[in-house]
Amino acid sequence: MSELATTLPTPAAPAPPPRPPSGGGRRSVSGKVVNYALLALVVLIYLYPLVFLINTALKSNNEFFSNPTGIAKSPHLSNFSTAWRQGNFASYVLNSVLYTFAAAALGTVMSLMVAFPVSRGYLKHTRLWNVLFVSMLFLPNTLVTVFQLALRMHLYDTRLGYVLIMASGIGVGPLLISGYLKSIPRELDEAAALDGVGYLRYLFRFLPPLIQPVLATVFILQAIGVWNDIILATILLPDQAKSPVTLGLFAFKGTYVSQWSLLSAATLIVAAPLLLVYVFLQRYLVASAVGGAVKG
Amino acid sequence: MNQSRSFIFGRRWSAQLTFAVGISLVVLFSLIPAAGIFAISLTDIRSLPFIPIHFVGFENYSTFFSSAQLGYNLHALKNTFVFAISVTLLQNSLALLIAVLLNQRLRGRNFARAVVFMPTILGVTVIGLIFSLMFNPSGGPAASIWKSFGASSAFFGDPHLAMALVIAVSVWAGMGVAVVIYLAGLQAIPVELYEVSSIDGATSWQKLRYVTFPLLAPAVTANTLLSIIGALQSYQLIYVLTGPINPATQVLSLAIFTQGFGGAQGGAVQSQGYAAAISVVQFVIVMIVSVATLVYLRRKETSL
Repeated sequence: MSELATTLPTPAAPAPPPRPPSGGGRRSVSGKVVNYALLALVVLIYLYPLVFLINTALKSNNEFFSNPTGIAKSPHLSNFSTAWRQGNFASYVLNSVLYTFAAAALGTVMSLMVAFPVSRGYLKHTRLWNVLFVSMLFLPNTLVTVFQLALRMHLYDTRLGYVLIMASGIGVGPLLISGYLKSIPRELDEAAALDGVGYLRYLFRFLPPLIQPVLATVFILQAIGVWNDIILATILLPDQAKSPVTLGLFAFKGTYVSQWSLLSAATLIVAAPLLLVYVFLQRYLVASAVGGAVKG
Repeated sequence: MNQSRSFIFGRRWSAQLTFAVGISLVVLFSLIPAAGIFAISLTDIRSLPFIPIHFVGFENYSTFFSSAQLGYNLHALKNTFVFAISVTLLQNSLALLIAVLLNQRLRGRNFARAVVFMPTILGVTVIGLIFSLMFNPSGGPAASIWKSFGASSAFFGDPHLAMALVIAVSVWAGMGVAVVIYLAGLQAIPVELYEVSSIDGATSWQKLRYVTFPLLAPAVTANTLLSIIGALQSYQLIYVLTGPINPATQVLSLAIFTQGFGGAQGGAVQSQGYAAAISVVQFVIVMIVSVATLVYLRRKETSL
């Protein structure tokens, strides 16, 4: 599969400079209109479900059933507090925050620990490890073996086990960091080594500030994965007190199956932190996702 | 690569040790399970730890192909391919169109890029609930539109419609990454090529056909491969949208989940050896399909 990776297009810069459109100067006005109409359609298809969700969350349940698609007349903010209380979201959110930060931080440190020596050739079998990092993206479905391992290592239904297993799903992390490390000259390693900086101090103290953008990317990509996981949590954490927020939301759906206003409020409670983070990091995240998807 | 480079930080074991620590969890929870899946597919291992394990050879595989199971498994296999092929074709063609559109100099294109990528952040549970709401038979917007045509539908509850809806939602959810890869590919095409072809009097369509498409071919290969592999293995969204045992949307991955962990039945002691065998079958299918796709697309790339 590494063959695939080497021929893929290079990723875009975080803020790509605008390219002139392919049409040159002869692009007609009607062409522009069609383009804007298509753009509006795309935005509508992607934004409407979210707007509808917010609108529903602000309605009373009666209002929803009497006029499902109309705009909420008087916002029922109480839906949020009711959902928060009845869905026990405080404890779920707390669990999710813990899992997400612990697993993403651990995963990022692990990615750094493996990516640096491999990308610099400080270990033997560099090529082999690189192939391994890529082939990790194409492994078979391991749910059953992961479950058995957790069970037999007494990590089943423990927070520690879940965090360790989620942290080990580093995915494209090492590939991203390796790619970024190419922009850090090896002379810097040599200068530091000459000044008597040891390997560990260089790796954990000197390097992280220099490659901060890629570390942040790896952390965020993994955090999104952990926050949104539902399958491994279902399998590994039967105890409801340890459930992350996705499981909490899924259980809430089962209980309040036809109370769409309440369900929408609960969905927004889960989505809100992600949407907030996304609003601030959107440009950066989209660019890094390209790197993650096509770099090898 | 630079394999022969000397180690410059004094003692090499410090690098070896941190590498070993870093890779240990990956080996433990990704590589060993990947290798172990075949091993335990040859056993009758169950979902509880204190039941003795026996070596059963290829019994789980013969169960998979046995007359009692074959109909069900072929149905899941058919669904898997219908889902994967539809998602791959729809997602790639639409993503290419959207990427070409979002590569034009248009006001609001950055906003549109951000909006298309948003589902990647939201995750399957939230997306699942949003579309359960959108296609809620009693009062969702889809139902209102249906009603205005005088029709009614149970949407995800309708066996004829469920798969199409699941495909549509998957395409919607996965579009962001595909668009972003195409955008990266488009931006890697040198502007000079368009200028030269303008001087030669090429039309917009000719430029698209003879400049953009051939140079974008590697991105098409990447996207096709990523989405076909992803779609052959995906089930989380299906699980959230239609539950674990809906026959209309039963795919192989979901069968691994329900056979190994019970899905709806919950408490029953599940035969995980059988689930492991399905995982192996699925892995073989994914490998064959992805190698075949890669070879086919490579050949096509050079002929463009």
